[in-house]
Amino acid sequence: MPLLETLGLTKTFPGVVALDQVSLSVHPGEVLGLVGENGAGKSTLIKILGGVYPPTAGEIRLEGERVAFQAPKEALDAGIAVVYQELSLIPHLSVAENVFINRLPRRGALVDWRRLHRMTGEVLREIGLEEVDPRTRVSELPIGVRQSVEIARALSYRARVLLLDEPTSSLTEPEIENLFAVIRRLKEQGIGVIYVSHHLEEIFAITDRVHVLRDGRTVAVMPTAETNEAAVVARMVGRDLDRLYARKTAEAGEVALETRGLGDAFLKDVSVRFRRGEVVGIYGLLGSGRTELLKAIIGARPPATGEVRLFGRRVRFRHPRDAARAGVVYSSEDRKGENLFFGVPVWKNATYQAIQVGRFVRHGIPQVPLERRAAARYADRLNLKAPSLDADVYYLSGGNQQKVCLAKALLTEPEVVLLDEPTRGIDVGAKLEIYQLMAELAAQGKAVVFVSSELPELVGNAHRVYTMARGRITAELVGDAITEENVLKYCLEVEEAETP
Amino acid sequence: MTRLRSLLQSSEFVVFLGLLAVAAFFAANTPVFLTRFNLLNVLLQSSIQGIVAIGMTFVILTAGIDLSVGSVVALAGVIMALLLHAGVPVWAVLVLNLAFGAAVGAFHAFSITRIGMAPFIVTLATMAMARGLTMVLSDGKTIFNFPPSFEFFGAGQIGPISVAVILFLAYALLAELLLRGTVLGRNIYAVGSNPKAAALSGIYTNRVLYFVYIVSGVSCALAGLVLTGRLDSAMPTAAMGYELDAIAAVIIGGASLMGGKGTILGTIIGVLLIGVINNGMNLMNVPPFWQSFLKGAVIFLAVMIDSLKNRQREG
Repeated sequence: MPLLETLGLTKTFPGVVALDQVSLSVHPGEVLGLVGENGAGKSTLIKILGGVYPPTAGEIRLEGERVAFQAPKEALDAGIAVVYQELSLIPHLSVAENVFINRLPRRGALVDWRRLHRMTGEVLREIGLEEVDPRTRVSELPIGVRQSVEIARALSYRARVLLLDEPTSSLTEPEIENLFAVIRRLKEQGIGVIYVSHHLEEIFAITDRVHVLRDGRTVAVMPTAETNEAAVVARMVGRDLDRLYARKTAEAGEVALETRGLGDAFLKDVSVRFRRGEVVGIYGLLGSGRTELLKAIIGARPPATGEVRLFGRRVRFRHPRDAARAGVVYSSEDRKGENLFFGVPVWKNATYQAIQVGRFVRHGIPQVPLERRAAARYADRLNLKAPSLDADVYYLSGGNQQKVCLAKALLTEPEVVLLDEPTRGIDVGAKLEIYQLMAELAAQGKAVVFVSSELPELVGNAHRVYTMARGRITAELVGDAITEENVLKYCLEVEEAETP
Repeated sequence: MTRLRSLLQSSEFVVFLGLLAVAAFFAANTPVFLTRFNLLNVLLQSSIQGIVAIGMTFVILTAGIDLSVGSVVALAGVIMALLLHAGVPVWAVLVLNLAFGAAVGAFHAFSITRIGMAPFIVTLATMAMARGLTMVLSDGKTIFNFPPSFEFFGAGQIGPISVAVILFLAYALLAELLLRGTVLGRNIYAVGSNPKAAALSGIYTNRVLYFVYIVSGVSCALAGLVLTGRLDSAMPTAAMGYELDAIAAVIIGGASLMGGKGTILGTIIGVLLIGVINNGMNLMNVPPFWQSFLKGAVIFLAVMIDSLKNRQREG
């Protein structure tokens, strides 16, 4: 008997059928991989199983018994724990308080801190995080570690079924290995795991079966051992992809943007050059300063020392507005927190940044028809899947939200495009489209820069790569020197050399 | 079709239905309510509250709050009264009054953006300080007797319509056009909806905050002008509790205290709803203590309906 199964699960939102008659099962000790393109319905399915939404139709059975959840707490109590893609920890509380929130051990009326910290220590040890002090404030931890704390919290509920929604989107390689070790241990204990990921190599490394969704419907369920990446991708996108990465063609022109000796609390003497017609990749582990570098360039955190030159002329951007007006635009990796406006229609999100630089504006008044036409053009070009341009971006899948982010940056008509993790947490189809877009932009003579923590996409798309560690540029790789081994070597060597 | 549906589902429309229902109730139960004289009177009484609530809408759209409005209205009245008695010409008093309102708003914005204080705390402090100054300056006494040209804004008429009402409606129209149609208006919503994204998108978020708090301060100065003219007196205890009525009107009108959501139209309907309830209860001789209770209950109901509607939409 399956541990957890769904029968004909259906969910509709205003204007969208997110899930259509999905029947899925996971057995004790099994890892089920759930894959699909953006908008395929994976997140919706996870949220229904986690008690966030009720289904419109269909049912959920846990060990053969029908269950219905009104709230996430009910799902947790039943033994279904979910780790969501977006972090849900409370930053100003400690790790221990976050893990045992709602269930703090007490002695009388007071919290039994000693027991809390001991219990948390045990949970952390289980997933190989023994170096984290349970008393640390979450806000002091790097994002990768926060994600692991989130997993620790889910495990601490003695879950029978664990749902992991893109668990590795901000983890480093060793952390992923750690996670896999934990999952294998859970398997031995007879726990069922549903593993959602866009990283097919992870799906093939850890799952027993793959369940493929497309447009809210099940299109295939197959044992992992009997299939391969190409077959899964073909099912996901409904067509064959002969190559996952856009062809590299470097026709580098003049230097568009250059930094000399940029420095502040995070950055140490950073000098980089971005040329027209070039796609430059920046790689670094969490906390390496890659995001800080891009933010320093656009003036979101003006650098303390050093200078930025745009087409040879020195510029001082004191605010992202100055940068955008000069043709340098940045797109944040944090779609929800720093990039999009939830509750606001797609077209307005797409043109928010453009109207700041005076596009589509006459005498301080945005020209809505022009804006809508431009947004529609980009929606078309980026193959955006949304019910309409008036749809709230909140309801779009991660990949489609990312496309809105790109439209928002590109509608300013920039010369230098700085993209921070543009493919984080999105599916292969959308990734491929974004790679092609970056190549096109470069071919149009723009300087394209992208931060990535995925080695294959970095190696596959960048004409030149800078590696960063601890706020410094550790290497500049060109041509055949851009290999996964090299990139990692230059990040790790410095890390090791500097670790006391 | 979709336009009609979105109109019918808008918060403004629901509150408007509530306003009609309440008005129908009073019309059925008191003979005076539906007379032209009374309706104009409701409009006149609502215009002062309305001007304050328009300023409050700007602030709440950025997820802020301005608790100082009632005290600032009263302080503006007392300052104008003293200036007039000191022989300052009316035009200069008007200019100085607006400058005073702007200065209060700028002070709020400075404290919030540069010092990093919470809007609730800053404006709570100025609420007490402004009320205190009002008492100090007036020595706790009411000040009377102003030139007729000054009272024009509060007590004047153009045809059958009060100048105050015209001022209020013109101000509301201006505010709605600004919020709906301009880049600045859109930036105000953006700052309320996601301040970090707004800054990274190239919006000077601090400037936006300066603007909204200055609008609120100037609105108070304007309301002080109308109120003082209408009463022909500046009272140190004037405009007590305006902040709560203004916040209530804005929230009833469909705005969110979390920012990024709300319209001037909604606020005006909210103001009228509160005005009609106040007026109708007076006409029906409801005892004052019960008036306060009933008004609170209506506010609760209005916001409850909106919250339930939102929950449904998300679920």
